[in-house]
Amino acid sequence: MVTASSRGRARALGHHVWLVGLTSVAAAVILVPVAWMVSASVRPIREVLTYPPVLVPKTVSGEYMARILHDPTYQRFFANSIVLSLGALVLSLTLGALAGYGFSRFRLPGGQAMLLGILSVLMLPRVTLIVPYFRLAHVVGLYDTLPGLIVANTAFLLPIATWLIKGYLDSIPQELDEAAMVDGCTRVQSLRKVVAPLAVPGLVGVAAFIFIGAWNEYLLAVVLTETPRSQTLTVGLASFFGQYVRDWNGIMALSTLASVPLVAIFVFLQRWVVQGMSAGAVK
Amino acid sequence: MRDRPRRYAAPERWAASPGGALGRRAGPPLPEAPGSRRAGTAADAGPRPAAGTARRLPGYVAGYLFVAPAILYLVLTAVYPVATVVAMGLQDVTAGRWHFVGAAHYAAVLRDPIFWNAVWNTSIFTAASVVLQLAVGLGFALLLHETWFHRGVRNTMRGALILPWVFSTAAAALMWSLLYDPYGLFNYLAVGVLHWPQPIAWLGDARLALGAIIVVNTWKSYPFYMVALLGALQNILPELYDAAKVDGAGPWQRFVAVTLPQLRTVLVAISTVDLITTFGHVDLVNMLTQGGPGRATETVAFYVYRTALLDGNLTRGAATSTIMLVLLVLGTQAYLRALARRGEPSW
Repeated sequence: MVTASSRGRARALGHHVWLVGLTSVAAAVILVPVAWMVSASVRPIREVLTYPPVLVPKTVSGEYMARILHDPTYQRFFANSIVLSLGALVLSLTLGALAGYGFSRFRLPGGQAMLLGILSVLMLPRVTLIVPYFRLAHVVGLYDTLPGLIVANTAFLLPIATWLIKGYLDSIPQELDEAAMVDGCTRVQSLRKVVAPLAVPGLVGVAAFIFIGAWNEYLLAVVLTETPRSQTLTVGLASFFGQYVRDWNGIMALSTLASVPLVAIFVFLQRWVVQGMSAGAVK
Repeated sequence: MRDRPRRYAAPERWAASPGGALGRRAGPPLPEAPGSRRAGTAADAGPRPAAGTARRLPGYVAGYLFVAPAILYLVLTAVYPVATVVAMGLQDVTAGRWHFVGAAHYAAVLRDPIFWNAVWNTSIFTAASVVLQLAVGLGFALLLHETWFHRGVRNTMRGALILPWVFSTAAAALMWSLLYDPYGLFNYLAVGVLHWPQPIAWLGDARLALGAIIVVNTWKSYPFYMVALLGALQNILPELYDAAKVDGAGPWQRFVAVTLPQLRTVLVAISTVDLITTFGHVDLVNMLTQGGPGRATETVAFYVYRTALLDGNLTRGAATSTIMLVLLVLGTQAYLRALARRGEPSW
């Protein structure tokens, strides 16, 4: 008996060692590009781009990051990305929450067809709309402006917001709002006092999801803007590919700094972001 | 982890609700009966259990008010532009004036060998990306689904493995171009470790460039599969594995006979979404190679972008967009039909 159980324990331990080891190695390999980026943002590029690469930094310096942070053009990119992401977030979340509530709590004739329509917009490749967007933006005077970018981005973020929020509200028992309304609440009161507080975790996840999507958006930004007045970080990053002499340190510093807000959001909200990802995939 | 969405059984009183007495409420609710809006009094729209979905509260006129802003927004910013893209493809611009030219642009695109080269590149890019992402995502999902001795360690690993998804495509393209550099890590491994005679131009060699982009795309997008499949794995009933064990099935047999069939629905759904996303993907090609060297990495999506914005031929670009949408719908249908099980209606 004793030998059998200790053998079982040894096997379980072996399993764990194997599991942790294999996953750690895999995660290390997956994170090599990230490590190289961060590394090139704080040390001279000749230590990174050489045979063999210097793994233990000889010099670590914040000068590249400082240079980026003090450059007015890059400051503008950051400000634009923040305005765009928050604008798209507010617009998508407001319209999406209203629609999600409507689809979740009402039996709407034609509602299923509308949901499917929203799903097909969700599937629409952005690149097929760049031609009309480019032209419309000129016609309505929104070319090379942040409001134009916000409007265009929301068209692609609102569908996912609506679907995710509807899915989340569906998982909140309807007995709760019914009970509130039986007790004399109006619909708006039941929405404000019962449904909204329960929906907060879901909305936080959706908000994080939308913010990440808007912050990382590239195609619409490159099509609908042409001056740093309205260009975002992704356009600033991608412009590097057109340079003949590559300032690797500067660009990796910018790239690292541009990723910091997202990694922070992800680390703090991992649970909800993951929920949003898997729900978005399955529904 | 969240529980699976709960289903609520309908209380008895609903069977006798006024809505239940109406004949049209018994059938599938989809077709909008003429005058249904007029009949939308509170009594008529009374709550009724919908098969498998949450119950609804009365008063759908108010419901329309909730969904109207979003629907209106999408009609203006998505449906209307899609309609104009078809129309723009039938026109041409000379000296700033638009005029109708019929199907000329459509014919020109379809006769263009460069377009068909792009279709070929897109097929390879899409197929390889989807297969690789699925394989990597499923592999990691299975690892994370194992019994871990410590939840925190598992969640940290999960977070680390999702991380590539968090970065922007622009940041991902930059990270990888650092690795692909003549003096970057990969060439150190090739030249310094494996003694390859000269640095490899990963993005500059027509035979390698598309593969190099597929690798970056896979790195960026596999977490989507991993997360979705992890959720699906957690929803498989343990009894199924117990039954298979009792029948003497080994780990591989359990994987083939229990895991894969149980993941089927999710696999079909996410690979379809991914197929559509990858087909329309333009960012990486635009940043890393601009379709080059030659036309080795030019995809249909990049063909649209190049024609419309780099060459400035908006109407030709619009025609290509329309063709692209048609190809997308046909491709998706073919994919779903190929996956539909015999005797099942294809989606």
